[in-house]
Amino acid sequence: MNDDEAVARALDGDLSAYETLVARYSVLAHRTAALLGAGDEAEDVVQEAFVKAFRHLASFRRDAPFRPWLLRIVANETHNLTRSRGRRSELTVRLGATVELTAPDDPEGAAVAADRRARLLAAVRGLPERERQAVVCRYFLQLTEAETAQVLDWPVGTVKSSTHRGLARLREEVGNELA
Amino acid sequence: MNSPEPYDDLEAELLALGDLLDVPSPPPADVAAAVRARLESTPGSTPGSTPESTSEDGTREPAEDDEGPDPEHGPFTGTVGPRPGSVGPRPGTPGRRDDSRRPPARRGRRARWKIVAAVVIVVIAVTAATPQGRAAVAHILRLAGIEIQLGATPPEPVTTTAPLPGERTISGQEPPRGVTFQIMRPAELGAPQRTTVADGNRIVSMFWPGGIRFDQFQEMDAFFFKKLAPPMPEYTRVGPYMAWWLSGEHPLGYIKRQDGTEVPLRQAAATLIWQQGSVSYRLEGVKTREEAVRIAGSLR
Repeated sequence: MNDDEAVARALDGDLSAYETLVARYSVLAHRTAALLGAGDEAEDVVQEAFVKAFRHLASFRRDAPFRPWLLRIVANETHNLTRSRGRRSELTVRLGATVELTAPDDPEGAAVAADRRARLLAAVRGLPERERQAVVCRYFLQLTEAETAQVLDWPVGTVKSSTHRGLARLREEVGNELA
Repeated sequence: MNSPEPYDDLEAELLALGDLLDVPSPPPADVAAAVRARLESTPGSTPGSTPESTSEDGTREPAEDDEGPDPEHGPFTGTVGPRPGSVGPRPGTPGRRDDSRRPPARRGRRARWKIVAAVVIVVIAVTAATPQGRAAVAHILRLAGIEIQLGATPPEPVTTTAPLPGERTISGQEPPRGVTFQIMRPAELGAPQRTTVADGNRIVSMFWPGGIRFDQFQEMDAFFFKKLAPPMPEYTRVGPYMAWWLSGEHPLGYIKRQDGTEVPLRQAAATLIWQQGSVSYRLEGVKTREEAVRIAGSLR
């Protein structure tokens, strides 16, 4: 069952079809919420977003892709959450447990690479909010510019310029000493 | 050869960093069940309750309803999480999974989803605690939707050849039905001799003369495993995307979604694996890394 069939059936009131959609996009939705600043509350945000998406499914344009439409709602819910906390959203993710491909015979190289990643992540965290959101969407979530524009509800030009400024700032911060 | 190529592009570095971020999420089936429980416990929650459910004209305006603002227009004003003021006829905890409502059969799906959820963890270390039977496996890496079991000694070659579950050939003209991702083709290789879909349309494979094979699948849906001994996979790139080149022959298998059973498939030739967005690709049977990367760069 592809997205369009699932949406069609969900519109007919088939909750199982909607469950399929939820399961399909659950991981991506959690990732989006967490990376856009929902932190520990990503689960609540995602659940609320899926409930709202279902209730507004009739307003979904069937000729458009479901994924960015859904992520827009997730981003909106995340925005509401961070705004209700009265502070700027924060990128609270951490680097997962990793094994470097270089680790077995090159511990030093692995340590250097790990340090570089940690500094790059810290630099992304420190970006001004809009630049950070653009960078998160484009690279951590691997969304296209058009998808990013839809998800963040910005003009595409703003996505381009924010991404560009963010990248320039990251280059300044972490430099290219290892590149 | 074990050192990754230096990053010369901040964008590629950010993509790689994103893959390593640890973002935990509950099993998707649990999320789906919780959402369903909330929808079932709230009256008037079907999308069909608004007149637009039958609209064909692409209107984006929903009917007036009391369930909050339109996601297409402006931010929501509602709070996030359980909403005490808006619970339906069923008192309790909206948004929480209510096990009494769920048939027992649903629980059986959890194991399957655990496998799927595990895919988001890009790289997992399996260290000292490895059970006896798998002591030879030093590390498990997950790269581009493929589990790579790295052992210290060369793995036993697979001497048999098995097809993917439910594999069937489709005609070149027929667009595969039910495939949820956009199907790509390496333009460099021309039209494939044969195209197959397998495992409930989750995997699309294309074949060319000379043993060249191109598989594509969505990472969340399926994955292969490969058994390797040193040399390690070589890091490379396909455009901005991270890729790995597995230079030698290696046992290839398939992990059953239902219960995680490993099914051997065949001895695979050298393979390039990479991922673009949520879709994973493997290109097998090209002799050199450079040639494989060049072909991979021609996806259309």
